[in-house]
Amino acid sequence: MASEFPSASGRFRLGCDIGGTFTDFVLVDDQSGRFYVYKCLTTPADPSEAVETGVSRLLEQHPGFMEHLEEIIHGTTLVINAIIERKGAKTGLMTTEGFKDVLELGRELRYDAYDIFAEYPEPLIPRPFRKEIRERIAGDGRILKPLDEAQVEATLEALLEMGMTSLAVCLINSYENPVHEMRIKAIVEEKAPDLFLSTSFEVLPQIREYERTSTTVTNAYVKPITEKYLKKLTRRLEAMGFAGRLYIMLSSGGITSVETAQAFPVRIIESGPTAAVIASQHYGKMFKIEDMFCFDMGGTTAKSCLIQKGHAGLVSTFEVGRVQRFKKGSGLPIQVPVVDLMEIGAGGGSIARINRMGLLQVGPDSAGADPGPVSYEKGGTEPTVTDADLVLGYLDPDYFLGGTMPLNKRAAEGAIAEKVAAPLGTGLVEAAFGIHDLINETMAAAAKTHIAEKGGNPQVVLILAFGGAGPVHAYGLAKKIGAPRILVPPLAGVGSALGFFTAPVAFDLSRSHREPMDTADFEEIEALFAALEQDGEKVLKSSGKNEEILFTRVLSMRFVGQGSETDLTVERNPFFEFSKEEIRRRFDDSYKKLYGRTYPETPVEFVTFKVRAQIPQRPFRIPKRTKEKRDLSECIKGKRNAFSVNRREFIPFTVYDRMRLFPGASFRGPAIIEEKESTIIIGEDARAAVDDYGFVWIDLERGNGGRHGDAI
Amino acid sequence: MATQFDPITLEILWRRLVSIVDEADASVARTAFSSLLRDAHDYTCMFTDSRGQELVQGTFCTPGQAGAMSLGVKEIIRSIPLEQYREGDVFIVNDPWLLAGHLNDVCVLSPIFYRERPVAFTACVFHHSDIGGRVSSDNREVFEEGLFIPPLKLYDAGLLNEGVLNLIRWNVRTPKEVIGDIRSQVAANHVCSQKIIELLRDEGLETLDDLADAIIERTETSMRKAISEIPDGAYPYQGRIEGAGKHKDIRIQLCATKSGEEITVDFDGTSPQVDWGVNVVYNFTYAYVFMAIKSAFDPEIPINEGAIRPVKMTAPEGSVVNCRFPAAVAARMQIGHFMTEMVFRALSKAAPDRIITDSGGTPAQTNIFYGKRNDGKPFHTMIIRGGGLGAGSRMDGHHCAIFPANGANTPVEIFESDTPLIVEARELVCDSGGPGKRRGGLGRKMVIRVPDDEKAPQGQITVAVQAGRFRYGPQGIFGGGPGAKARFLKNDAPADPSGLTFCEPGDVLAFYSAGGGGYGNPLQRELDRVQRDVAKGYVSVKGAKQDYGVVIDPDTLEVDAEATRNLRRSIESENSQRGE
Repeated sequence: MASEFPSASGRFRLGCDIGGTFTDFVLVDDQSGRFYVYKCLTTPADPSEAVETGVSRLLEQHPGFMEHLEEIIHGTTLVINAIIERKGAKTGLMTTEGFKDVLELGRELRYDAYDIFAEYPEPLIPRPFRKEIRERIAGDGRILKPLDEAQVEATLEALLEMGMTSLAVCLINSYENPVHEMRIKAIVEEKAPDLFLSTSFEVLPQIREYERTSTTVTNAYVKPITEKYLKKLTRRLEAMGFAGRLYIMLSSGGITSVETAQAFPVRIIESGPTAAVIASQHYGKMFKIEDMFCFDMGGTTAKSCLIQKGHAGLVSTFEVGRVQRFKKGSGLPIQVPVVDLMEIGAGGGSIARINRMGLLQVGPDSAGADPGPVSYEKGGTEPTVTDADLVLGYLDPDYFLGGTMPLNKRAAEGAIAEKVAAPLGTGLVEAAFGIHDLINETMAAAAKTHIAEKGGNPQVVLILAFGGAGPVHAYGLAKKIGAPRILVPPLAGVGSALGFFTAPVAFDLSRSHREPMDTADFEEIEALFAALEQDGEKVLKSSGKNEEILFTRVLSMRFVGQGSETDLTVERNPFFEFSKEEIRRRFDDSYKKLYGRTYPETPVEFVTFKVRAQIPQRPFRIPKRTKEKRDLSECIKGKRNAFSVNRREFIPFTVYDRMRLFPGASFRGPAIIEEKESTIIIGEDARAAVDDYGFVWIDLERGNGGRHGDAI
Repeated sequence: MATQFDPITLEILWRRLVSIVDEADASVARTAFSSLLRDAHDYTCMFTDSRGQELVQGTFCTPGQAGAMSLGVKEIIRSIPLEQYREGDVFIVNDPWLLAGHLNDVCVLSPIFYRERPVAFTACVFHHSDIGGRVSSDNREVFEEGLFIPPLKLYDAGLLNEGVLNLIRWNVRTPKEVIGDIRSQVAANHVCSQKIIELLRDEGLETLDDLADAIIERTETSMRKAISEIPDGAYPYQGRIEGAGKHKDIRIQLCATKSGEEITVDFDGTSPQVDWGVNVVYNFTYAYVFMAIKSAFDPEIPINEGAIRPVKMTAPEGSVVNCRFPAAVAARMQIGHFMTEMVFRALSKAAPDRIITDSGGTPAQTNIFYGKRNDGKPFHTMIIRGGGLGAGSRMDGHHCAIFPANGANTPVEIFESDTPLIVEARELVCDSGGPGKRRGGLGRKMVIRVPDDEKAPQGQITVAVQAGRFRYGPQGIFGGGPGAKARFLKNDAPADPSGLTFCEPGDVLAFYSAGGGGYGNPLQRELDRVQRDVAKGYVSVKGAKQDYGVVIDPDTLEVDAEATRNLRRSIESENSQRGE
């Protein structure tokens, strides 16, 4: 096939995001600014298969871009799903004698003081796979008991015999002196060179054994699956002629090399969801909107993140697999930098069922891509949110994914009637609306919690809707949280993949080194920072980047005797040029700002030195749409009866074709805007307007808030 | 006219109030000095409206402090006319009778001013591991237990009263930590104030009171409705708590009377106050009675003044659960924590699915260690240990919980950097969970050694134990068996946990916390659950046979179904012959 893109054509980048249900592709031609998108079902058994399918489909449609493809940026839910679904490797743990239960005891804090039936997550490594090693290092690093190397070898053998494929090593006080962990690493590399290994001194060299063990163990648990997958993906892409660089999205919002992602998969846990947040930040800048609520609803989960003053928060610790959806402390703690977002099991594939108390329950489990919703006719028998949306007229059975995947409405009706309506004793439509409304309520509760935690107000915030199901549910969500405005970017259905193009290549490094400021040698600290920067440069260079690297230096400091630190960002001047008075003054200013008072007479100390190395964001813009003179009537595909949230009955909605909508087009609901990868629902109490870039702005009328859930 | 709130606005503001107090709570971990606070989380943050009515308390609070604060903070606030508060005032108080029942719980309280008017009060109680005095549970009067601080101004209209700090400084062993932690309390209140002012400004509100009324009313309604769900009646229970060392056992006589939408718990007939440190003030007893009612009936709704209104308590003055000044109170949790399980027992017949049986973390097991490091520098630290949670009708007991109090363990690595001591093990104890259809959570052992190498401490190390369950283990319910008792060993021999223990380099202490009680007949426990427990080492092969009548092959760990059927049948017939 002749190339669509002659050699003079520019460089291409491809963003590819694997979700629990769909895999999204966005190809951008940096020269012309044009986008090409594709969406297909995820292939859970081997997710790289869907990537190959998608890339070949894009190649069929736009032959010739492969030779100009400079990079592929990739995000995946593979890692998080492996943890949530407990499909990681058979993992073993070697720890210090007397401490095999660290993982099980956790920190003991009851996350809900008044709930006597609170549940706690099962450790990723069952007790028989947690083995104790005779050795001991004291808190000051001195060796109390030498490592019993023969026992390490015997334990290794025993674990291998039990079928272990990945090993975590976390010894008490190794953050202070890792010599025994290093020795175990050498033994393992010699005796079982193919075994996957994660050592705590490399994954998270920080004090507090539970958090360090949990993070190291999680890394070990997903390491084999990640490496296997990335290797396969690389092979497939190479076979298709891809000669550029493959990058992986980090949970922190940066991107990194395949090698780093393989060594530290714990850092790419939120790789997919983060992309939507990065894209939102970009749109925020584009429209000069500082505060936004990013809402990305796919087939399996909904991700939300409040962006304030143009930035999403970054936190240094988070939890996965919470057994109580919104409760802090009910999940497994992971200490790596991550964008502060909330993810819940609410998506198009979320399954509706009647629970033991006879009440309707939707999610958190999902039919995913396989078997998928009933209406996909791929073997699914449990009714899902997508099935309900179809019955309610929000989705067109003949235009799902642009008509490439016909949906069976009758099958959806049958399943909802049988599994939901009959046991509840209601009609089909009430049951379908119940499913739609309940999932909105669940997401609203999550949104309100997340926004409240950040001190925001949902009643003034703009919702930025992404994902295949996001624009379908954004209107209902907005009504429930009282948000006045919704913005649906172009290609919203695959929109989060756009975030890949705006993410910086970045890597975070840190070194703990406790030193009172009075006695600290600033020349030594400069050397320490310089060494961290060199390491960062090495990682980034291995990513194949030769652009200028930006470094940010952060001092973690505290009053001597405190247990936690206050971070202080400092310029990248030679550190010895700072006076101690200057650093002290800055610490006091920062502490006073946070906590109201400071105590200049109380001595302070340095604890950790951190460096973020990054290559600046690459330019990326969305082109303006050409202004076509067109009548609004030309954009209308027809009318379809769909369910009105306000009137609780079917009313005629006007159906618009998003591809034909032009800048300046404006109309009132009830309306449905269809595009290939998603559908936008606009109630009768809202107005939609299309801007020069093809973004759809939806304004909700105030005052007729519909029905709301009861207060907590 | 009072501001009205539509349900959606109310819900949003409510969530925001909860997150404000949680943010103040989180700031403690970042600013506190002692590991008992930043790691073991022995503190509670809350705030009230301008009338002193509790509005929210921290999600990770300790119910004992929180429940006592909802009564005590109101009383302190109301003791001064509102117009006499000045912006920048900060109060400090540790009067056990006003607040959380012992001197170590120090409260810092500040009015929040908005547009020059006091609109709210923010308060936090921190457990300071050191408040001076003689660290022991066998003091006879509160005078021996440390520094007593009546309500004082630490800051007067923003001006520090250095004298108060000096007074504290000269009365404690570890002034740097104690003063640092008081500063952390001031910081937590500051964070809370700032966020409340932001909220008022964002929402265009002049006061928190209307919002408080709406929230409190909803909470009260919800709590009343939940209480009304069990039948009216008087539910009595008589319990016994072991006296430590030479001290006599203590009798708790209680009767929970449920009538309509209210519950009243009365303690008539309970032992009089005693001449050692386990006496409980009214507020602290109330806190754990409230904990029982709240967790059994309406655990979901966040706590405020509305939740406590339908829960009443009466106790004879001068009894061990409503002691008079100057009773010794330092170890009040050794009695106070039992209130929750005793109320559960009283309610067990009326509400068998809402309660759990006795827990190994009742009372919380605390240890204080102090002495001098190798270089002569003093150290002083305190840790809290939980035990196995009692089982309920629906679930096995969680293995490690400080219950009904709350708190966290101190990481071993933090403990070892705070002290010269070495932790040799911290692990679950096989067969320590009470057998039952639902098994009690496992108890746990912690082994601590005083090093005798070049880093051996100078002189003796002093260890104080405040704990219980050494003689009376946690009992099961509805046919469930007891959890293993607590134990305290020095160099492998049983030691006396009641006084102070002195250790030399090379000594090894072992602390075993108790396992939780079982719920229901263990012979009815599903075979796969027993098998799983054995595979994980929670229950031994022998324990499975003895306690559950389940025969498991020690090599393959598989259940012998037929042998099990026979064994269970013969145990059942033995039991019925014995009239069980």
